[in-house]
Amino acid sequence: MRRRIIFTFISFFLLILASGCENFVEPNQLAFVIGTALDHDESGVIEVSHQIVIPSQISGSEGGGSSSGSESFIVLSAKGKDIIEANRKIQRKMSRRLMENHRILIALSEELFEKHDVSQLFDKLNRDPANNLRDITIMIKGGNARDFLMQGHPMDHLSSVAAGKEMKLSRMSKFTSKQLAIDILSDGYRPLIPVFNVEEIQVSSNKKQSIGLLSGFAVMNKDLKVSGILDDVEGSEAAWMAGKRTFQGITIPWKDGKGALSFRFSRLKRQIHSVKGEDPNHIILTVKAQAYLLENTTPLDLYEVENIVEVQKYLNEQVQKELQQTVDKVQELGPDVFGIGEHLHREFPYWWKSQKDEWDDNFKETNVTVKAKIRIRSLGTSGKRFSK
Amino acid sequence: MRFISKSIQENEKYLKEKFNRSSDIVIRTLVLKNETILLFIYLEGLTKVQSVEENILKPLIFSGLPSGIDVIESLSEMLRREWVPLTNVKSERSLEELVQHVLKGSLVILADGETSAVIAQVQDFEKRSIQESQKESTLRGTKEAFVESIRTNTSLIRRRIIHPQLKMESSTIGTYTQTEVVLAYIQGHADESVISQVRTRLEKIDADGVIDSAYIEEWIENNPLSMFSQIQNTERPDIVTACLLEGKVAIITNGTPFVLILPFTFWEGLQSADDFFERFVFITLTRIIRYLMTFISFALPAIYVALTTFHPEMVPRQLMFSIAAARENSPFPTFFEVFLMMVVFDGLQEAGVHLPNRLGPVMSIIGALIIGQAAVEAGIISTPIIIVISLTGVAGYTIARYSATLPFRIIRYLMLFITGALGFFGFAFGIIILLIHLVTLESFGTPYFSPVAPFDGKKIKNLVIRSPLWSKNRQKKESVK
Repeated sequence: MRRRIIFTFISFFLLILASGCENFVEPNQLAFVIGTALDHDESGVIEVSHQIVIPSQISGSEGGGSSSGSESFIVLSAKGKDIIEANRKIQRKMSRRLMENHRILIALSEELFEKHDVSQLFDKLNRDPANNLRDITIMIKGGNARDFLMQGHPMDHLSSVAAGKEMKLSRMSKFTSKQLAIDILSDGYRPLIPVFNVEEIQVSSNKKQSIGLLSGFAVMNKDLKVSGILDDVEGSEAAWMAGKRTFQGITIPWKDGKGALSFRFSRLKRQIHSVKGEDPNHIILTVKAQAYLLENTTPLDLYEVENIVEVQKYLNEQVQKELQQTVDKVQELGPDVFGIGEHLHREFPYWWKSQKDEWDDNFKETNVTVKAKIRIRSLGTSGKRFSK
Repeated sequence: MRFISKSIQENEKYLKEKFNRSSDIVIRTLVLKNETILLFIYLEGLTKVQSVEENILKPLIFSGLPSGIDVIESLSEMLRREWVPLTNVKSERSLEELVQHVLKGSLVILADGETSAVIAQVQDFEKRSIQESQKESTLRGTKEAFVESIRTNTSLIRRRIIHPQLKMESSTIGTYTQTEVVLAYIQGHADESVISQVRTRLEKIDADGVIDSAYIEEWIENNPLSMFSQIQNTERPDIVTACLLEGKVAIITNGTPFVLILPFTFWEGLQSADDFFERFVFITLTRIIRYLMTFISFALPAIYVALTTFHPEMVPRQLMFSIAAARENSPFPTFFEVFLMMVVFDGLQEAGVHLPNRLGPVMSIIGALIIGQAAVEAGIISTPIIIVISLTGVAGYTIARYSATLPFRIIRYLMLFITGALGFFGFAFGIIILLIHLVTLESFGTPYFSPVAPFDGKKIKNLVIRSPLWSKNRQKKESVK
C-alpha cells in the first residue's frame, strides 16, 4: 500500500516536471522593449518601432556603464495594419522573444493622430493582460516618433528612460496609458497628452546632441484628434485643474514692477462646484495649494505680517488670472480636459443624459470661473531681500 | 530469579561466571579473624575506591567485626547501623539484581552464610563540569548548561524550582544500556493526560540502547514520518524551568546534555531564549525579522526562479535588466544553476560540520575563493544566484533552535523543484501542501500549528509582539522558552 502511494506520488511529480519545464524562459532569451514608437507610413499603414535594451551594455558593471560608441539599445521597426502584425514582423528580426511588460514609454507622432483613428490602436494595449499600463504615452511634435527613440540621452543612454524620468521629475506620473484609457472611456473627460519636441542642445564645449524635451500638452477631442496644443506652462496649469497635480510653481512680478516672487506649490487640489448646486451652466473651479516662497527680489520685508497677507492675496489674484486665461483658451479649443463633464454627470445625472453627446460643443458655452485658495506655508529663512 | 545462596563459594562462582572476561570487575575475598569470609565486588573506575578503603576496608581489617554480635545473619542490619559510615546503603537478596548494581558502580559485599548482600552506593566517575552552552548561547541569561550526568541535570532544575510539586519520575530504558530516564513536571500544573501519555509511550520503547535523547524523541513522537520535529530539545536549564512552569513536561536522559520538552509547536520553534531577556520592543522587531528570514530561508530560491524565468514582468525594470545582464552568458538554465548552488552550499555546510578544527581555514578559502569568486568570474554561475543562495543560507540561521531549521532546508529543495516546473502556480501549490501538512501535525494533544490554526486570537498576538512580563494581556503561561 505504502509503496503504491509513493509510486503514485513520484510519478505525479515526474509528470509535472516533464510537462511544465518547457514553460520557462531564461532572461537571456528575452528582448526587453523599453519604448515603442508608432508612426504613420505613406502607404496608409502604421509603423511600429521598438526600442530594445541590450542588457550587457546597460548594466553598469564598474566604470560607469557602457563605454562611448557601443549603444545600449537597438531600434527595430516594421509596418503593419495593426500593432500585432507589425510586432510579428519585428519578432522575425529578433533572436529573442519580445517582452513589452517593462515598457516605459509609448511615443506617437503628431501625423499619426491626424491620419489614423488612434483609439483603435489603444485596443491592443487594453486587451493584452500582460501590459502593465504604467507606461507613459506622449506625442512627438514635428518629426518621426521613431527618430525620437533612436536618440540617446547624455545622462541616461536611453531616450525612453530619460523621458520617463523627466515626466516623473515634473510629477507627470499621472499621464500613464492607464489614465489615458480611463480618460478615453469616460464621457466627461478629454485626454491631455504630453508633447515632446526634439531639440538640439549644447551638452559640452564641443558636442551637440539632440534630445527630446517636454514642450507642451496636446488637447484631444472625443475622437482622439488634436484640437490644439498648450505650451508647457498652460498645460501644467490645465493638468492642475484637471486634478492631475502637476503644477510646479510660479513666478509673479510684484505690483510696482520692482522685483518678483517665486513660489513652489505642493498639495495641489481642485474642486468643481456648480453655482449654488443647481446651475449646470455656471461652474466654479476651485484650486487649492500650499505655497513655499523660494525667491524674493522685491523690497518687501516678509517678517511683517501685513506684507505676508498682502503677498498671499496678490498671489491668489495672479494665479486666478493665469488659470482663467488657460481655461478660456481650452474652452476656445473645445475639449473638456478638466473633467467638468464628469462632475456634472454625477451632480446632474438626468441633465447629463441629454448633454453628453454634444458635450464638446456645450462645454464651450459653459461659464467656468476659477478661484484660487493658496496659502503661504513657508517664507524660507530670511525676511527681507538679501542686500547690504 | 536466583537468590543468594548461603554458601559464599557458590555465590562467588556464579558471579565470576557472569563477569568472566571482564577485566574491570574486581572480586575480592576478605577473611576476617580466620572465620568470617566477606566478598567484595565492584567495578573499577565507577566506584570511589578511596571511600571504600577508608570507610569499609580499614575498619574491618583493623578492628574486625564489631563485638557484641553473635548471629552472622544480621550482617546487613549491622552494616546499616554501625559499620559503614556511608549514607546510601541497602540490602538485596537477588543475585541478578546484585549484578545490575555492580554494573551501575555500587560496591556489593557478600558474607558467608548470609542470604542478603549489602550494597553501598559509592558510585563515582569522571564527568564533565558544567559549562556554557555551545549550541544555544544567549547574550544574557544563565551561562550554565546541562551535562551528561543525569543527577547533575536534575539538580540544575531543582535549584531553580524549589517546590515539592516538582516531580521527577525515573525509569530505565534500553535492554543493554539501561539508561535512566527522568520524567519531570510540576504536578497540578502539567496536564495529567499528557503525563500519562508520555509515561505509556516511554514504557513501550523497545530498544537495545538509548544513546541520546534523540533516540527517545524518535520513539515517542506523534508523527515520526514528518520532517518537523515535534519535541523540543535544549541544553539550557532556564528554558526547561520556564517550560515546566508553563505546564510542559521534560524528559531528562542520562548520558546526554539534551533535555526533551513537550508538547512543542511550530511557532515555539521560531522563538529564542533571548526573547525574554532583552527589552520587549526590540524583541518585537527581531521576531518580525526572524519570521521574514524564515520565509526567505525556504522560499527565496524558488521565488527567484519563478520571478526571473516565469514572470519577468513582475521584477522591477532596472533589477530585471541587471539580472538579465548578469545571466547573459550563463551556460545553465536558472533552475539548474540555483539547484547546483544549493547543493554546493549544503555540501560546504556538511563538510564544515565534520571538518577537523585545524582544517577550517582551508575550507573557507576553498568555499569563498574558488566557489564564490572563481565560478562567477569564469561565467559558470551568475552573481545574483550567489547572492540569493547565500542570503537563503544566512536566513536559515536566524532560527535559534537548530532542529527547527532542518525541515526548511528540505522544503527549500521541494519548493525549488515544484516552482521550477510550474512557476508561481507551483509555488502556491507547494505552500498549500506545506500548510496542510503543518495543520495535521500534533504534539501530545497540542495542534502543531496553534495558535494560528486552530486560531486563538489572544495567543496569536504573542507570536509577533513580545508583550512585557507585567502586561495584563499577557498569557499567564508564556515565558522564556
